[in-house]
Amino acid sequence: MKKFMPVEELARDERFNQITQADRMADARSAVPANAESTRRSSNRLTPARADASDAARSLMHGIFVGEIQALEGAGRTCWDFTTGEEAPFGLKLDMARQAWDEARHVEISLKLGDWMGSDVGQYAENTVLFQAACSNDPVLRLAGVNRALEGLAIDVFTSMKEFGEMAGDPYLEFCEDWMLADEVTHVKMGSDWLRKVTENDPERRKKALEFQSIVDKMFSYGGSRSDSDESSLGIARRFRELAGFTSDENEHIAELGLQALEERKAQIREKQAAAKN
Amino acid sequence: MTITVTPEAFSFVSFDSAYIARIATHVAEQLGLTDIDINIAVDETSPLTRIDVEVTDSLISIRPLSGALEDTRRPRQQSELATTLAMARSMLRARDRLRGGFENAPLDAELTLPQAAAWDTYILGRISRMDIEVKKQAALYNFRNRHGFNDASDHVFEKIWNTDSVTWDELSALSANTLTLSA
Repeated sequence: MKKFMPVEELARDERFNQITQADRMADARSAVPANAESTRRSSNRLTPARADASDAARSLMHGIFVGEIQALEGAGRTCWDFTTGEEAPFGLKLDMARQAWDEARHVEISLKLGDWMGSDVGQYAENTVLFQAACSNDPVLRLAGVNRALEGLAIDVFTSMKEFGEMAGDPYLEFCEDWMLADEVTHVKMGSDWLRKVTENDPERRKKALEFQSIVDKMFSYGGSRSDSDESSLGIARRFRELAGFTSDENEHIAELGLQALEERKAQIREKQAAAKN
Repeated sequence: MTITVTPEAFSFVSFDSAYIARIATHVAEQLGLTDIDINIAVDETSPLTRIDVEVTDSLISIRPLSGALEDTRRPRQQSELATTLAMARSMLRARDRLRGGFENAPLDAELTLPQAAAWDTYILGRISRMDIEVKKQAALYNFRNRHGFNDASDHVFEKIWNTDSVTWDELSALSANTLTLSA
């Protein structure tokens, strides 16, 4: 079986249509107002109070579904891509195998939640950016990219969806997201613990991994879709992140990256919209 | 009947205004709206799915955000089904106001979320009987989000979905009663 599989080779059937983060960022349209004079709504938080709440929740649910597939593929590849003992400790690979099992269960749960909410598999484009973060050839960078950045994002997303279900009175959504959230906290914790352990005597490698995580965290802010601003649809779930081993400073750093990404995206949108008008 | 679509050429999305006009004409004919002008102004700067509809005796104005006509599998590309659904939803809403017993209905912006969901259910139920593909489960999920996740709410959903004629007063009473039962 092939090792270090590139994102282009992910196996999908004809129901799926994959797009890259570059495709997504090339879209000059914006749900957030590019300038202060805009009359568009100022809050994009995913709550039932939004008129388009059902559509938005369905779309996010599909994003979670494909994200779970990619997380499964990422954790599974880490078990396979690295030699046991030499490149990755057996315990680390055992944890990744457990994570792969969790993600497989999440895929099934998300699939059923999609049915419940009225969407089909492949109804929305699949952004492959999550798996891209899982393509590093250093297992420590995988831990930083997948377990800390990707699964950290999952904590934010599941917290939002759980709250959405709670507010809307949807018992299935609330229950399922709560259980998956608990798993994600564990996955982040595994990543934090192994990253510390594996780089115990290699501060340079640890620094590199944390820098990589920072880059991925900014990428996963999706142009400001996750930040403390109400203009972002997702907030930062500080409490659950702390339970997963993120320090307050790390959470503040992620919050800062989210706001930076939002401002950069707004500037990009203003530029693209001005160019389109000329 | 004159149907106009703006913009004529799109810069943010790969939409075709002539194609939108053709679909709109077909839907208007199906709904018997051949005696009124229709103006469609697409806001291509937003990917959201909202559609504003305004009606006078001589003109129906439909203002969709571009997400309402988009293929969700292929961002920025137009979807025939989404465009058909957007036109059918907007025109049925307009027809209800013009000649369907919805003269008393508040303006779209003043509808409560449960009222809007009930009206949308009534519209989508009729569209499903026009041989246009509609996701009933998605409509049910929206209705439940606005009226409660319980059997009483599902029962009212089915009733509204299957009806071909209801007035605004009847529909808004059904919505209000469901909320009372769900409380």
